[in-house]
Order: sequence, then C-alpha cells, then structure tokens
Amino acid sequence: MSAPAAQAPRTAAAKTAGAVRKVVPKHHALVRLSHWLNVPILLALIASGLSIYWASPVFTHAPAAGSNSREYLSDIGIWVARHAPVLVGKGNPAAWVYDRFGIGIFHLAQALRLHWLFAYLFMANGLLYAIGLAAGGGYRALLPRGSDPADALRMMRYYAGVIPAKVLRRPWPHPPLRSKYNALQRGAYFSMPVLGLLAVASGWAMHKPAQLPWLERLFVNYNGARIVHFAVMVIFAAFIIPHVVLVIADGWDTFRSMITGWSERIGGGHGRN
Amino acid sequence: MAGTEKDKTRPPRRSLADRIREPEERAIEIPAGAARARSRRDFLLFGAGALAAAGGLWWLLPDDTKQQHLTTALRERVDSLQARLGATPERREKFLDRALTFDDDVAEALYSPTRTVRTYSRAQTTPLRNNYNGRTPGPGYLPGWNLQLAGLASGKNERLSIGDLLARFPRRDQVTRLCCVEGWSAVAWWGGFGFADFLKAYPPAPEARWAKIDSAVNLDGSGNPDPYYVSIDLDTARHPQSLLATHFSGKPLPLEHGAPLRLVVPMKLGLKNIKAITSIEYTDEEPPDYWAERGYSRYDGL
Repeated sequence: MSAPAAQAPRTAAAKTAGAVRKVVPKHHALVRLSHWLNVPILLALIASGLSIYWASPVFTHAPAAGSNSREYLSDIGIWVARHAPVLVGKGNPAAWVYDRFGIGIFHLAQALRLHWLFAYLFMANGLLYAIGLAAGGGYRALLPRGSDPADALRMMRYYAGVIPAKVLRRPWPHPPLRSKYNALQRGAYFSMPVLGLLAVASGWAMHKPAQLPWLERLFVNYNGARIVHFAVMVIFAAFIIPHVVLVIADGWDTFRSMITGWSERIGGGHGRN
Repeated sequence: MAGTEKDKTRPPRRSLADRIREPEERAIEIPAGAARARSRRDFLLFGAGALAAAGGLWWLLPDDTKQQHLTTALRERVDSLQARLGATPERREKFLDRALTFDDDVAEALYSPTRTVRTYSRAQTTPLRNNYNGRTPGPGYLPGWNLQLAGLASGKNERLSIGDLLARFPRRDQVTRLCCVEGWSAVAWWGGFGFADFLKAYPPAPEARWAKIDSAVNLDGSGNPDPYYVSIDLDTARHPQSLLATHFSGKPLPLEHGAPLRLVVPMKLGLKNIKAITSIEYTDEEPPDYWAERGYSRYDGL
C-alpha cells in the first residue's frame, strides 16, 4: 500500500524541510507501557505464587514408589535430577522447582506479601492496558471476527510449512493479511486480557471467599478457584515461549514497535519474513 | 453535519459494527530527526525501566534466596550498590508491610457484619487436619482450666469455669469451612455459643475495640511452652457466626482441636481460630498477634 494521494502535498512539503520517515502507528503508549510492566509483575506473581502453592499443593497423587513424592511439581524436579543432574546439583530434587522458580522454601509470609503487592499492581496495570486500548482504538484489532477460524487454519498450514519450504528452497508466501494481526495472533492476544480477568477473578475468589461468595461459586468451590488460578498461570507461562520465539523470528521491526509504537513495514502485518 | 439534504438519505449514526471495525493501517510521515529522537527517548526509557525492574525484584527477594542465585561476592556487590541507592532490607520489610496493611484495609472495607459465610450440612464435613507445627498439649491442664476475662465494663476481672459457660449459654451448631493461610481448607461441624451473646453477658469497657485472646497452654514443635495469642476486632467478634466453640462433630472438643474452648471465626483465616483459650482481654489498642509478628497479615479477613 502506498501513501494515499491526499497526503502527497504534505509529502512534498516535508521533503523540502528534510528527510521523512514513513511509519505505521501500531501500539498506544499505555499499551506499550502495560505490556512491559507485565514482565516483572508476572515474574513476581509466578515466583511468589509457586511458593504459596508449595505450602499446600492441590495437584497431589498417591506417594510414588522410590521418591515418596506426592505432588506433580515435585515430580518435575525429580525427573530433572534423574536426566540432568547438573541443573539440580546437591539440593533436594523434590523441592527443586520451588527453590529455583519460587522465592525460596519456607517463605510463605514473604510470598504472600509479595503476591498481594504484585496482584494489586497487576490489576492497576490491567486498567492501564484497557485505557490504552480504548484511547488508541487498538481493541478493534483484537476483536474476534467471523473469518477467524478459516484464517487460523491457513496460518497453521503456513507455519507448518515454513521450515520444510526453506529446506526445499521453495517459495512459501505468507497468506495475505489485511489486518494488524493474523487470526492466530488475534486469538492469542484476545485471550490474554480474558485470562488476566480470569486470574484476577479466581484470585479474589480464593482471597475473600467469605465476603465474595458469589465469586467463589463461579468456580464451583474454593479448590476450583485454586485450580483455575494455577491453570491460568501455566497458560501465561506457556504463552511467553511462542510469543518470544515468534517476535525474534519476525524481526527487529516487530520488537521495536512495542517500544516506540510504530512499524516501518508499510502495508503489511506481522509475519512477513 | 445535521440538517443537510444528504444526511436524510444516510443513517444518522454509524452502526456498532462500523465503529468496532478495524481501520486499515495508514502510514504517517514524520521528520527523520524527530523519529530518531523519539526512538532514542523510548529505548532509553525502556532500558532504564528494565534496570529498575531487575533491581527492584532483586531487592524484594528474601536474603537467603539471594544466596541461592548469585555467588557471595557478586551478591554483596549488588546489595551494597542497592543499599547506597537507598534500597535497604529494612526499607524492603517496611514496604512489604505496607502492601500487607493495604490488603488488610481492603479486607476490612469488604467486611460486612450482616454478610454470613456459607454453611454446609453435617454430611458435607471433611477431615480437619491438625496442621499446627506445635504439639498438642496433654490433658493435664483441663481439670484446673478456667477462662480469665479482663478489660470489662464492670472494671472487674472474671474467672469462669467450663461448667459456668456451658450452663449459662445455649449451645448452637454450625457447619462452616476453615481456610488455612497455607491454602488447604476443611468443612467442620462446630458447636458452641455465640461470641456476641458472650459479649452481651460480659460487656467490654466502652472504649474497647479489640479482644486479645490467649492460649497459655500452647506448645511448640519440641513440646516447650509457646503461648499463642491472636487479635480479634470486636466487629468480627460480634458477627453472628463467631463462635466460642465447645464441641466438634457433636462431641466435646478433643485436645487436638482445642479443648475445652476455642474460637471459630469462619470469616477469618484458620490461624485466628485460636485453640484452648485461657484468657480474653478487651483493649482499646490493637493487641499483638502471634502470626502478625511473624510477617503475616494482622486482619486475616476472608
């Protein structure tokens, strides 16, 4: 897409004043700010949350033969100790996940204080994000639309073929994109605020079940809220991996657009290279 | 725009679908110098923010956890640099205490004296763990047990036996859930008398806003005396579901659940539900609380 004809005179005027850069505004400043604030906030929430969870795990099983572990996250540490002992070292493998990814064992009081602090920051940050989406109109690029299922299938087919096509040196064009995000991106970026709301709702359901009983009922019961809260954390953590990998694959322009707010890729969405 | 000929043929307002439709992306032109300056400013802000976030998170970590993640020399260098910038461990504790106080204020604001917690049927009870680190005291204290009362409106101190209490107050049954700060919970069937009735029978001094409830017979993990004490605001004490419990599952309280008298406040965390109460004192000022002194919340509202 080239610049609309109506802008031609301005272009000429700008040229006389000096060099110009053509950019596409992508993200409102508040969206960018809240995006990056999520990094330390989620890190602190996950680390302190794991320490809280460790005080009384929900996902327990019958004691395993040999290790005596009763809990799935402990099993991960035992598994790692067996296959990559270097990572675990001399520590207790059953506590490895909590020692390394939590805020340290036997720190429930500290973990609770951190978790409340960052939970309030997370909610405030969610508000910033919502204001930014509304002010910049960015929410319009996130809303699901009827063409999404078919487009999502096309994108999956595209992603599946990228590496084979590179290996076979065959052209493998990106499906044409007329919007800011492709259907898969839209699904992921739309899910994140929804999951954020779910994390906040299940968190309050656990935190104040006596004063907010209706919220607790929404998750069936107290343990239901704990399970949803934990599952949301896992999805957040799982989102980060493809999110970072795809940004690296997509290139500098995409990364920069989340810092400066603009892209220099005119007339194309993400995923061009 | 209103009132022209053209408008009559067009709908006066855009439809919702139009308004939420994603606009086509349009390139804008900015002078290269301005773009460079803005880009530089945003990247500098980003770098400063990343540094502040990393430093802040490190500052908030417990000291012995820091030891796990960096070598001693490097850790000391980072810590002394942070201390020079004012991020000391003392300030950290104060800061986190303030976060906790804020959350307590939110809990207190949410509290309503008329809102009752969910009750269950007796068939829905679940096994109640005796999760406390401390040992259960032996039955030796039971024969000489009495409840000491101080801070009353009468100005006198009272001494009540369990017989006095059982005879004076009608027993009420209540099946509620106990939620531990650790995350587990259990539904238990309690019997006892209302704290509100008790407050009416032995009214506290008019200025009193708090109850300091003690268990002098509590033991620590090695079996040594470890007096336990909780602070309860009188609003919570007067709640219709606050119970001075004498019975568990229809039978007199067993030792592991705090014979002969314990507190049941289902609108607070389990740690406020003090066992084997030996004294209650009403105070104007907030009294000390065992777990609050160990870094936990002092209000513990659920």
